[in-house]
Amino acid sequence: MSEQEKKFLDIVDLKKSFGSGDTKQDVLRGMNFSVAKGEFCVLLGPSGSGKSTLLNIIGGIDSADSGYISISGDKLKELGEKKLTQYRRRHLGYVFQQYNLIGNLNVKENIEVGAYLSDNPLDIDDLLHTLDLYEHRHKLPNQLSGGQQQRVSIGRAIVKNPDILLCDEPTGALDYTTSKEILKLIEDINRKYKNTVIMVTHNEAIKGMADHIIKLRDGIVRKNESNPNKISASELEW
Amino acid sequence: MKKQKIKNPLRRRIPRELRGDWKKYLVVSLFLILTIGFVSGMYVANESMMTAADKGVIKYKLEDGHFELESKADAKEKYELNDSDFQPVPVTVYENFYRNEDEDNNNDGETDGTVRVYAKTEDINLACVLDGRLPEAENEIAIDRMHADNVGVQIGDTITVGKKEWEVVGLIAYVNYSTLHEKNTDFMFDALKFNVAMVTDDGFAELEKPIHYAYAWRYNHAPADEKEEKKLSDDFLKALLTQTVASGNEIKDYLPAYANQAIHFATDDMGSDEAMGGVLLDILIVIIAFIFAVTISNTIMKESKTIGTLRASGYTRGELTRHYLAMPVIVTFFAAAVGNLLGYTVFKNVVVSMYYNSYSLPAYETVWNPTAFLKTTIIPLLLMFVVNLAVIFAKMRHTPLQFLRQDLKKNNRKKAIRLPHWKFFSRFRLRIIFQNMPNYLILFSGIFFVCVMLSMAIGMPDTLEYYKDNAKDMMFAKYQYVLKSYEGNDGKPVTTAAENAEIFAMKSLQKKSDSFAEEISVYGIADDSRYVKIDGLEDSGQNEVYISNSFAEKYGISAGDTVSLEEKYENKKYDFKVAGLYDKSLNIAVFMPIKQFRTAFDLKEDEFTGYLSGAKITDISEDNIATVITERDITKMCDQLDHSMGSYMQYFQVLCILLSAVMIYLLTKIIIEKNENAISMAKILGYENSEIARLYLLSTSIVFIVADLLGIFLGSFVMSEAWKMIMTDYSGWFTFVMNPWGYAKMFLFVLIGYLFVLGFDFRRIEKIPLDKALKNAE
Repeated sequence: MSEQEKKFLDIVDLKKSFGSGDTKQDVLRGMNFSVAKGEFCVLLGPSGSGKSTLLNIIGGIDSADSGYISISGDKLKELGEKKLTQYRRRHLGYVFQQYNLIGNLNVKENIEVGAYLSDNPLDIDDLLHTLDLYEHRHKLPNQLSGGQQQRVSIGRAIVKNPDILLCDEPTGALDYTTSKEILKLIEDINRKYKNTVIMVTHNEAIKGMADHIIKLRDGIVRKNESNPNKISASELEW
Repeated sequence: MKKQKIKNPLRRRIPRELRGDWKKYLVVSLFLILTIGFVSGMYVANESMMTAADKGVIKYKLEDGHFELESKADAKEKYELNDSDFQPVPVTVYENFYRNEDEDNNNDGETDGTVRVYAKTEDINLACVLDGRLPEAENEIAIDRMHADNVGVQIGDTITVGKKEWEVVGLIAYVNYSTLHEKNTDFMFDALKFNVAMVTDDGFAELEKPIHYAYAWRYNHAPADEKEEKKLSDDFLKALLTQTVASGNEIKDYLPAYANQAIHFATDDMGSDEAMGGVLLDILIVIIAFIFAVTISNTIMKESKTIGTLRASGYTRGELTRHYLAMPVIVTFFAAAVGNLLGYTVFKNVVVSMYYNSYSLPAYETVWNPTAFLKTTIIPLLLMFVVNLAVIFAKMRHTPLQFLRQDLKKNNRKKAIRLPHWKFFSRFRLRIIFQNMPNYLILFSGIFFVCVMLSMAIGMPDTLEYYKDNAKDMMFAKYQYVLKSYEGNDGKPVTTAAENAEIFAMKSLQKKSDSFAEEISVYGIADDSRYVKIDGLEDSGQNEVYISNSFAEKYGISAGDTVSLEEKYENKKYDFKVAGLYDKSLNIAVFMPIKQFRTAFDLKEDEFTGYLSGAKITDISEDNIATVITERDITKMCDQLDHSMGSYMQYFQVLCILLSAVMIYLLTKIIIEKNENAISMAKILGYENSEIARLYLLSTSIVFIVADLLGIFLGSFVMSEAWKMIMTDYSGWFTFVMNPWGYAKMFLFVLIGYLFVLGFDFRRIEKIPLDKALKNAE
């Protein structure tokens, strides 16, 4: 792996605060780490540790007060709004805790919403099989279970074959079994399509399936380590 | 595997959204289709009629003007109208004699009105035959089509004109009588009691009423524009005056075509209808556009997280703006297409029949009207586009994170507004009102607009009714006899033994404004008049006059001001100081003692114009009477307006009820949809549907009642001001009147629309499921 691939995502001295004066709250207090290309990285931390804010800044939907993030050597803060949108369009896939699907589009169409953004999307039928949603492709979101809906939202994010898949508590609203299924799916996708996955979670158990674990607390990186004993998502227990 | 670029899947939401909320879109589409259709029909009908009228100018040899002489002009007088003192105006003059005969259209022996009979001619002012044919035999007559429709006369019927019976062989529209104005000074035409007709030369000779020696002229070189036409007319009048004075004749009437109401009233009215229709359409489209904008704004709020996800995934602002903008534009485009289709077919025929019901217009052919396309397709689309673009653009300015956090409020209040210590339900309602303020503001705008239209629909008949009811009181006397001369054939003043008859003097002067010269009746009133009782009239000084309230209101004149009046055909100007107002006259009139009148206008010591009388005068020979003004002359305008517009005002009232119902339906639907989660939560907490309705529907009801009352007040005020502006361009004056029941009717009509919707709203609340609040947004 080249140096550039090792520092595919490079976060340097990133700071971010909300409010001002007495109400000023430092959310990110100088954060430094790198994520390699194709890595499955888990950002762990309790509520208020700054993990979602960090994910939003990586995703280009929030900005840092100082420091920078670079992806393949391109610094995000140097991009204007239009270029940031193009950056998200070309390089990022987003999965949130809430599925945020479009209610009057069926499963396949919701995935097409993501495919439309790419010049080179994945084959949707193949992906539907991968997501185990092929049989449900004509159903509307309200006809699906929570896990199935989250699969659709993952499909929507992954169909454009993004360089980075950002997942913000993707299993936060799901039960144990469904959560494991979803994690397995993300793992399979990471293996199959070689995307870099950055997942925010407060579930310590999930770190077992990651290549790279970053623990945050009070806006700084408390632990930044590789996981040589990586296990499959299906083996996770909590 | 590389795939072909796929089309934006968001597009597929549009037909589904249409299907999913079909009731709303059906209501909006129908509303737009009907409005656009009617206005399009109006434009198409007007353009077609105007084209027919323009073509008719040449085809039917329309005069450039006419004048009437006291006696028949000789050949030299007619054709040599040049003089060294003025610029010669080359014209061709044609005889266009007529007689004003009594008409009995049902042969019951009672006179039903006046018919102006012309002899058949090929030279000037021809008639378009709409049914039947022109007269060929001595006892045949062709009459005005509209009058025939109004009084129920058909081809083949027999009517009595003068003392003879005539067979109606044709229904016609004279090119110079597109409206049946008996006199050019009449405020309104009269198609019920006035008629124009054509008979053969032999038939004309058999009639007995005096011939009016009317001559029509046409310029040998057509004027380039109205300004030149006016100048030519002024020059021609000077020539004519010189000529007639030189030959001992007298001009009784002079009327260039551009000032002839019978020629221009219809086309001017069609033009103003068009302008008003265009403005009404624009206002309605803006209201619908705002309703759409509020709906979309709420949808964006509802779909905020999804939009945030899409934006975070790389969808641009433009893509999402276009997506949300598509629906109103598509609906408007569809409505404009269907509306125009109906406009060129069904509605055009409706409007044409409305015009044929009021005007004597020639046959027409439907023509393509680019203005209709602009006004009913391009402008509505643009308005819908601009209003919605502005609202969607403002929403889309939020960042993806704001969408994800549903943080789209402009001013996210950190603290709730402090409310008075009312009961919980009252405070809750007040919060609902504050929360839905933008929707309520649009609701108010809509109700206000409906109230303006309702003011017209209810106030117009009220005004006419008031005018008719008060006409008797407003007339000085039941009869005004205007004599041809105050002296009879024997050189002695014409007298009468009729009890209560008293002499009066009258003269027509003009008050000129920038756009208009209004005829003002100046009266000389006998001392101790029993008919015109004005305190202090007899004591008024030289040049001091009293003016009617109508005159004062129309021109904003008050006591102490000076009014300048001018002679119509002479270069003479009179200045009078206003000593006071007289409120018993509907006319635009000036009053002074008869002695002062005689001095002011250089009349003889005993000269007068006629008699005012409370009863019919039978001892004055008809030969001496020029005209009799009765209550009928005052009320005929009301009858005609009532006939032309009365039934439409009823339809208009129904339309207003529907319009208010549609708007209230759409806006209250938005308010309930916006609060679905809260309503669902209230149900979970144990509130009953009736209690929830008391919270949400009562809040809307309170706002509605306030909006309705305010709308009535402002709407009638706007209508009253608009009425004044309209009246300024017409002869005469009467103020906009609405009786108290009219206001109550306005309130009730809008309320009917609301009550109708309230039922729907209650059912909508009932249908909101308990788990709504607990489910995910999708």
